[in-house]
Amino acid sequence: MSDLYLIYKNMTRKPLRLFLTCFAIFIAFLIYGAVTTLKSALDAGIDLAADNRLVVVNKINFTQPLPIAYAQKVAAVEGVEHVTYANWFGGYYQEARNQIVAMAVEPESLLQVYEREIVLPLEQRAAWLGNRQGLIAGKNLAQRLGWKVGDRVPVSSNIFSHKEGGHTWDFVVEGIFTGSDPQHDTNSMYFHYKYFMETQSFGGDWIGWITLTTVDPAQNQRIADEIDNGFANSQAETDTSTEAAFSKAFIEQIGNIGLIIFGVVFMAFFTILILVGNTMALAVRERTGEIAVLKTLGFAAPRIFKMVLTESLLIALIGGLAGLGAAWLIVEGAKATMAQFLPNLVLDSGIALQALAFMLLLGLVTGLLPALNALRLNIVTAFNRG
Amino acid sequence: MSQDLLFQLNGVSKSFVKGKEEISIFSDLNLTIERGDFVAIMGPSGSGKTTLLNMLGGVDQPSGGEVSFDGARVDNLSESALTRWRAHNIGFIFQFYNLMPMLNAARNVELPLLLTKLSKAQRRKNVETALALVGLSDRAKHMPSEMSGGQQQRVAIARAIVSDPKLLLCDEPTGDLDRTTADEILEMLQLLNRDHGKTIVMVTHDPAAAKYANRTLHLDKGKFVQRELVA
Amino acid sequence: MSQIAAVAVMNIRSLPRRLWMSLAMVLASAVVVAILLAFLAMARGFEATMSGAGSDAVALMMREGSQAELNSVIGRDQVNLIEEAPGIARDADGPLVSPELYVIVDGIKKGTGGKANIPLRGLDARGMAMRGNMQLLEGRMFTPGTNEMIVGAGILREFDGFQLGNEIRFGKNVWTVVGVFSTGGNVFESELWADAKMIQSHYNRGSSYQTIRAQLENPGNLEPLKAYIDAEPQLNLELKTESAYFAEQGKQLQYMAIFGRVISFIMALGALAGALNTMYTSVADRAKEIATLRALGFGNFSAFCGTIAEALVLAAAGGLLGSLAAFVFFDGLNASTLGGSFTQVVFSFDMSPDLFVQGAVLALLIGFLSGFFPAWRAARMPVIVAFRNGA
Repeated sequence: MSDLYLIYKNMTRKPLRLFLTCFAIFIAFLIYGAVTTLKSALDAGIDLAADNRLVVVNKINFTQPLPIAYAQKVAAVEGVEHVTYANWFGGYYQEARNQIVAMAVEPESLLQVYEREIVLPLEQRAAWLGNRQGLIAGKNLAQRLGWKVGDRVPVSSNIFSHKEGGHTWDFVVEGIFTGSDPQHDTNSMYFHYKYFMETQSFGGDWIGWITLTTVDPAQNQRIADEIDNGFANSQAETDTSTEAAFSKAFIEQIGNIGLIIFGVVFMAFFTILILVGNTMALAVRERTGEIAVLKTLGFAAPRIFKMVLTESLLIALIGGLAGLGAAWLIVEGAKATMAQFLPNLVLDSGIALQALAFMLLLGLVTGLLPALNALRLNIVTAFNRG
Repeated sequence: MSQDLLFQLNGVSKSFVKGKEEISIFSDLNLTIERGDFVAIMGPSGSGKTTLLNMLGGVDQPSGGEVSFDGARVDNLSESALTRWRAHNIGFIFQFYNLMPMLNAARNVELPLLLTKLSKAQRRKNVETALALVGLSDRAKHMPSEMSGGQQQRVAIARAIVSDPKLLLCDEPTGDLDRTTADEILEMLQLLNRDHGKTIVMVTHDPAAAKYANRTLHLDKGKFVQRELVA
Repeated sequence: MSQIAAVAVMNIRSLPRRLWMSLAMVLASAVVVAILLAFLAMARGFEATMSGAGSDAVALMMREGSQAELNSVIGRDQVNLIEEAPGIARDADGPLVSPELYVIVDGIKKGTGGKANIPLRGLDARGMAMRGNMQLLEGRMFTPGTNEMIVGAGILREFDGFQLGNEIRFGKNVWTVVGVFSTGGNVFESELWADAKMIQSHYNRGSSYQTIRAQLENPGNLEPLKAYIDAEPQLNLELKTESAYFAEQGKQLQYMAIFGRVISFIMALGALAGALNTMYTSVADRAKEIATLRALGFGNFSAFCGTIAEALVLAAAGGLLGSLAAFVFFDGLNASTLGGSFTQVVFSFDMSPDLFVQGAVLALLIGFLSGFFPAWRAARMPVIVAFRNGA
């Protein structure tokens, strides 16, 4: 027998209560894990944004087009490293429900600007650059649609029309890319802007937006101002912002709904913790008499303090880790089906560590007060009370 | 100081502050307990007998005077030193047994051995010996809730003696038991005193229990009063 | 019966004594109810905004495969063909057909100060007439052929700078707000309206449009129009009633309601665990009282009902608290989110009375479940054991 055995026996003396307490903690951390992952997936664009990347969009709104000639003018601004541009294709595969994030791009510069996000084997890279009808697809997208390198695939647009009629373009899958970070989005596909321009029925020389890298993040503001001032009073004024700011603005479009939901859920999380803490503290208080006996037998106060604290920490960790584990399973399970909407669904170590910190906090807060009481417990008064 | 002297109280006083009043339990109390003694302390409720017992056990500390144990002062020990002292020298037996409800009999007896450096095997041996001594070898795996009051008290006695302390302090050890069972427990204490040389101090209000002791002290309003034993 | 009442009253009277545990139970029930109601009120509000927009009497036509108004392109020639189509209502000025444009512009949100997409719709008087419940709250209609616009009441609530008389710059163009309109709280109130011809010229749309709305001769009857479109190879249009279109768009937030129900269900399980703990502790606390009553001749059943009554009272109090909190914090709360056409939909949380009923049912369910098992234990506890444990 050891102190650990005593702790174990104390914990399990009322198995039903232990189970209910652990279950409530389990639920709290299940929800915490799942919802925080969801939130982090939504915010991933901001967190993953490169600090030296700027996005140039039409000042009216980012859904308004820019003339393609702007790309060259932007490249001429001092301090700009690489420039690429893209057009939103509004793609879908076979059925309109089956939407794809598809963009018409300038390939070479795309791979320069997104060298961390789009990692492609060398021979696939060469093949894609060499084939105007080629596309590259992210790993998740290729998995979802069952595409393999060399496949000929039709991709349709809900915006553009092919000049030969219909809305469907034929492509050859030339490469499948991955990201250098697990949260990098691999649910998209890219194809040659030139091919798009030659084959579409209208809107030829327009692009959706320009992305550029700067030589030094410290110069971002100056470069952004220079670009916007250069196009002031032209037919399409521009708005240049850092990638992070652009992503943030885009996320904020989801509106205060997100804020309200997360607010409500976190409130609930903390309420459950308070409820559980109350029960756990009461459970220790019930044992005042036994603690007095232990002290009388000669158990030193600090030793009892440690035992009480360990017990509440153990309960918090058992329930919490199980809940976090369940959240991980759910996230992993939902990943495939949710990939289309939320590509960055990852319960990463940051979230896990945060949850762990909350578990320790729960264990400490609920255990500390009873443990302190036990530490200070006066045997004489304890016996008189009992 | 005599070799046979175990406990000595010299001019000990104890008072509480309750509200604005200071309540004196006793003042200038003197007591000598020799090694191998079996002392019963009797007295009406509120006479201070439990406070005295607590003080002997180092659970409570005197407001004034000197307490010496085995030739060394204990009234001026720190809380943690007192706790260590208690673990080594004193065995407690309570009126309501105070066993840990979630531990079986053997584990309850083993509890004080967690405070020693004995090996696992040594601990098990001591537990077996102690349980055999109180006649409960066959109940080692039973939980307190599965035992009668007398059996629980015997487990408590085994717990009190397992680490071989010099002094056993008993607070109304038979207060919750019927006559027959009470006699069994008292005979056991007598046996421990006579055959195993344990010094015992027992607080009781039961004159029949006091008869098992070598001598009886009567405490009244914080003073020992002389009274002839009624045979 | 009077036995049961006596035990119940005794239990409930002793609640304050077990203050912390009682409060925990109330809180548990309150949180679950408040969460459920918040999600339901949100889904209800969004649904009302979307579904209120669609009319069965209006046909909506977009280019096939475009799914949302934003993506569609329709040529003037196609509009001309539709104006000749059968099944469309006519008045003295001809067929009731409204070709419309749908452009996205930036607005600055109140509160966050961030940019958000709002739709600028180009239409004419016929189009406005098709929104049956449209009315001007302030100012006047825009004058065709000028840079004037009218703004929806929802835009005014959630975005900065759209007050009557303000000048607004979108890129190079400056627009003047001349009126504020309401469409009875539906999604059209989250839009800016201006002359279609002006938008065509400012946004390089030539003579093209994005959608066509047409008033149907017989509400809900798309058949003649559909036959006409199928037979005409130049019309690669998708046809549905406006109500069907918005119902589809409204489904987008259905996941919110589902998400809300799932979360509240899981939360309810967690809270139920907490509540059960409370009730078990409460029964253990009163083991002696219960045993005393039983010894006095009170039946098992009254001990059982007494405990259930206690749990129900606590849970109901929590449910009431949760409903009130949800009502105070969420009812009428203005919210906005990205709708189907990539633009902001402004809507209000709607805490309708039937939601309170759902909340009450949930609270009582929690109360019953968390009372049942402990009550069972209380009723079956042998008198002797209770006395011994109570000592």
